[in-house]
Amino acid sequence: MKANNMENKIVLSVAALAAALMMSPVMAAEHAAMATKGPSTNVSWTAEQMRFVANGDKNRGGQLNSEMFCASCHGDAGVAPTGNWPSLAGQRAEYTFKMLKDYKDGKRHGSHSAEIMQKVTQGMSDQDMADLGQFYASFDLPALPTGVTFDAAQADMSKAVIKRGDGKRLVAPCQSCHGSNGEGAVTDTPALAGMPPEYFIKTMQEYKSGARANDVYSRMRLIAKTLTDDEISQMAHYYAGMTAK
Amino acid sequence: MATIHIDPLEKRWIWMVGGMVVIFYAVQIYYAAVHNLHPPSNVEVIDSAKLHLSEEFAEDKLGVKQEADGSYTVTMVAARYGFYPQEISVPANTPIKLRIASFDVLHGVHVPFSNMNTMVVPGYVSEVHTQFVKEGDFPMICNEYCGLGHDYMYSKLHVTGAKS
Ligand SMILES: [Cu+2]
Repeated sequence: MKANNMENKIVLSVAALAAALMMSPVMAAEHAAMATKGPSTNVSWTAEQMRFVANGDKNRGGQLNSEMFCASCHGDAGVAPTGNWPSLAGQRAEYTFKMLKDYKDGKRHGSHSAEIMQKVTQGMSDQDMADLGQFYASFDLPALPTGVTFDAAQADMSKAVIKRGDGKRLVAPCQSCHGSNGEGAVTDTPALAGMPPEYFIKTMQEYKSGARANDVYSRMRLIAKTLTDDEISQMAHYYAGMTAK
Repeated sequence: MATIHIDPLEKRWIWMVGGMVVIFYAVQIYYAAVHNLHPPSNVEVIDSAKLHLSEEFAEDKLGVKQEADGSYTVTMVAARYGFYPQEISVPANTPIKLRIASFDVLHGVHVPFSNMNTMVVPGYVSEVHTQFVKEGDFPMICNEYCGLGHDYMYSKLHVTGAKS
């Protein structure tokens, strides 16, 4: 029964990937335009929810990672092979869990890649999500994928906002939430260290435009709106270089 | 029987200190009774983890609302590191009821030059009644240490002229 279930999931996810990859970006844009009503996420970090994610099985997560073809974009060990996709190695299990849940619930949308993830997550159970979360969390924070580089000069320029924030814009220092080593924090503040700059910029621009809206009380959207494109790019290089050897 | 020798100077100071304590209590009681100044006491529980899923503190329910009697209700959330909505505007010399809850840890909310000052304890709804007498722009400041970004935790309050 269990094996059968797993098989179904594989079939579903393959079909979903194929369908999503064929879908036109126009469709994705249309979907994003439909404003989702209600809360920005259905996930709430009650004690039971935290315990549930903490008890995820990383070995089963590893199995899912290859069987559901997560690895084709996010890598075998959670390090994305290109800058287009996020690396998930070392990511907080709570964050991975929340994102998968938000995709499934249609709460995270607004881009072509989000459309793909919405399809992929339809057949997933909460247990699958917790298991995958623990699998990625079991790795160290990633170094950049080969071929993706960061610009040290740009990284330097962003230090003021990252370390000191900007009171005039009501922006707290990035590191007060995301950690001084970009490691993230309880419960679902994501790790940023080693994230490919391309993906970082894409994400911040989606927050800035409001296309991505699964941050509770708009906390990230409000910050992103005050940042210039240059600042976003500088921050991307700062966090990308964090785990550089 | 041993007697304790108390120097007249010591005796005088004992009376002075006793007098000061009485004066301080008198001042507190006077303000509490006559000016109605007291720590806000509103015991109303709420699940902070599910705040965004609650009826009152849902994301689209926050902000300033005018009541039928002309007073205003301000519904806000304190979360690391800000008060949401980040910018609100209320009229001067009008009764305001602030209802605020925390999404995470202990915060405080304080508006300078007003009696708006309360702790925002996770698990509880804080309620403060006030009237702003001065027009202008004021910060809402978090005055309970809540984490590394605490000193950046403030938002903007505009107190506008008489209502139209
Ligand atoms: Cu605070």
